[in-house]
Amino acid sequence: MFWKSTYNEFIKIAAKPRSYIGLGAITLLIGIVLFALKMDGLTYISFITAPFEQSLSFEGNLLNGNTMAFIILQMLIIHIPLLVALVTGDLVSGEAAMGTIRLLLTKPISRSSVLFSKYLAGCAYTFIIIVWLAVLALGVSKVIFGTGDLMVLNSDGLVILQQTDVLWRFVSGFAVAFLALVTVATLSLTFSCFSENSIGPIVSTMAVIILFTIIGTLDVPIFDRIRPLLFTTHMAAWRSFFEDPLPIKEIVNSLVVLVVHCVVLLAIAVYKFKHKDILS
Amino acid sequence: MPDNPEKIIEVKHLAKNFGKFVAVEDVSFDVFRGDVFGFLGPNGAGKSTTIRTLLSLIKPSKGDIKLFGKHLGENRNYILRRIGSIVEKPDFYKYLTAEQNLKIFARISGATVSNSQIHEMIEFVGLKGREKDKLSGFSHGMKQRLGIAQALIHDPDLIILDEPTTGLDPQGIIDIRNLILQLKNERNKTVLLSSHILSEIELIANRMVIINKGKSLVQGNVIDLLNARELLVTIQVDSTEKAIQILNNSRMNLVIDSYDANILQLQISQESIPAVNKLLCENGIQVFSIEGKRKLEDYFLKLTHV
Amino acid sequence: MKLRKSLFFILLFSLLSSFSFLIQTQSPNTIINGVYKKMMKAKDYSVQATIKVDLPFIRMMPVEAQIYFKQKDKFRVISKGIAIIPRQGFDQLTRMLKDTTSFTAVNSGSEIIGNASTTIISVIPSADTSDLILGKLWIDIKQNIVLKSQLTTKSNGTILTEYTYGTQVEYGLPDNMVFTVDVKKFKIPKSVAADINNSKKADSKADKKKGKIYIKLYNYKVNKGIPDDIFKK
Repeated sequence: MFWKSTYNEFIKIAAKPRSYIGLGAITLLIGIVLFALKMDGLTYISFITAPFEQSLSFEGNLLNGNTMAFIILQMLIIHIPLLVALVTGDLVSGEAAMGTIRLLLTKPISRSSVLFSKYLAGCAYTFIIIVWLAVLALGVSKVIFGTGDLMVLNSDGLVILQQTDVLWRFVSGFAVAFLALVTVATLSLTFSCFSENSIGPIVSTMAVIILFTIIGTLDVPIFDRIRPLLFTTHMAAWRSFFEDPLPIKEIVNSLVVLVVHCVVLLAIAVYKFKHKDILS
Repeated sequence: MPDNPEKIIEVKHLAKNFGKFVAVEDVSFDVFRGDVFGFLGPNGAGKSTTIRTLLSLIKPSKGDIKLFGKHLGENRNYILRRIGSIVEKPDFYKYLTAEQNLKIFARISGATVSNSQIHEMIEFVGLKGREKDKLSGFSHGMKQRLGIAQALIHDPDLIILDEPTTGLDPQGIIDIRNLILQLKNERNKTVLLSSHILSEIELIANRMVIINKGKSLVQGNVIDLLNARELLVTIQVDSTEKAIQILNNSRMNLVIDSYDANILQLQISQESIPAVNKLLCENGIQVFSIEGKRKLEDYFLKLTHV
Repeated sequence: MKLRKSLFFILLFSLLSSFSFLIQTQSPNTIINGVYKKMMKAKDYSVQATIKVDLPFIRMMPVEAQIYFKQKDKFRVISKGIAIIPRQGFDQLTRMLKDTTSFTAVNSGSEIIGNASTTIISVIPSADTSDLILGKLWIDIKQNIVLKSQLTTKSNGTILTEYTYGTQVEYGLPDNMVFTVDVKKFKIPKSVAADINNSKKADSKADKKKGKIYIKLYNYKVNKGIPDDIFKK
């Protein structure tokens, strides 16, 4: 029954117009970015090489698909959470607002199963978003710009990764980005269990992300202790895969923080959903 | 009714509080197999809360609920598999078609439902030709039909309908009524039907309970409760004191329900009205009006006007 | 007999001394011309290169590249990946040496590099507008090859280059080059996006003022002809 319920949830997500907002927005944004970089990408790239250009000359295909994909990922990854929350924040509260939750929860399937099936469908949607992002950012970029070594400017310097050494990093980076977005999806689903309308969970999720991001970037000692515990601090963990050497310890730490957030938030969501009186 | 009929629903001293607000205080009733059971009460009496509790949408604060002989708390899925229901107005996924909506609910109904069964049900509820239309274009009546379709698609033993005729036109109300009778007579289903309109219950239910302010007040067979032979007769006279004296001295064994300065209420059969009228008139009492109502109808009307 | 022998040795010694005196007393311009002439023997060449970088703030694996040169000043580095080379390129020396009127060459002493004795020639540009501020060349005058050069330019700072020769010494083409680059002005912009590992230790090489680029050159193809198309980017 759980898998049937999950299939149902996926049908609902696929049929909702709002599910395509995220995909459309990503397509449009990446299209615009690729067009701009095709027109004047070298100027943008010079930002990366500028600190060294007095003494050094960079030869080779600097404006390649791998570099473009990295630039796009950096630009868009902070906006993607909203596109995910738009759908996952509506999973429970949307049914309450529509009234369908009455019919749904009078069926012979436990509330936990209903919630987990919604969660799984939400994660599947998030996966599709990330895959679409990967296809456009990496695939289309490579078609337009060709392939080449990846230049990454970190706070401690420039890392140039050979093209044969890049694909697994992108795959790993996207996988971690997926986990970060799943954390956002879990947060919005949890809010959704407390709300009877669609907008509340979405706005609340974005408010939390913005607030935590601000706390994370404010260089104030009072926040030093909590900063490593905020999930927003680890949403950029994907970037760690583009460092050399790979900071394994930091990556594992980020994964643990994100997974713990998912587990705790899901536990809260399950508790609330199971004990909620359905009055709508 | 056969001896020892199977109890499909047993509710004992059900209570539900929402904080300090007491929605249901003490409701008890039984529904037997094959009943069309009327669940009657004015608006705000606690009908919807009780029904939602039966369907595990709400957790009771106190009381015991058994369905099909099993406690609801421990056997939720087993019980719900055998129930089809509409709670208040049936809401569906507006962005899906009628057929898709029905399939969504059929998939998690606990039964294996084929595509042909889906189409048969759509035809049964009179929506043939509209199955590919999105719900956003459906009228209230059409949604109600689809609601009944999703309630019946998995062939449940018990059907719970919460105010199913609300918002329907007269033809729609008749259709629902006929459908319920058909379910009882042809498919041997048990139906629990809630309403705030006595006449609606009276027409199709064989047993009923009346609740008000969260308490069950009266329960039993509809015929017995609405016994047409005994009426509550209201007589307007010039002097009730004199009228009572005359009636008490007669050998008619009348029950005087209540009285004030000019109004006298008696519990008498319809056949006794002319005799009472004659007695009073012959003894010099001026009778200005006589009005007869069934006891329960009057009782219920008083409830709804409080 | 003894006298003849002595006379012979005295004459030989004088001749040798004169010769070495002659050699030692070649003018700096002559020395430079000798080097330049040798370099000009290679009208064009292509060579495979392995470029390894040891610079603060930069981390990368060694890169394979193909280098092309054609007189007078066509130069191109083609690599599958990204290669970092000194901004001056490889032909800075050739370009500098071709016009002896644009600078004054001064003998600045000698130094032993490895097994070779080198004459140090300082190159001072004649015009203030020249990009070159000062050049210093360690030249093995026996082979007319530059073993070390230090060029200070307005645009690129100071680059010290060490050359090792092997198979193509007849053309003055090295097998190995080591560039020592001034990196004082390397600064990472603060607005670098989202680096969560900000708190980690800074690059241990970051305090260094100098960095090195190692270029190993092999599979030379000299004077085989190179079409001009290759030099179009």
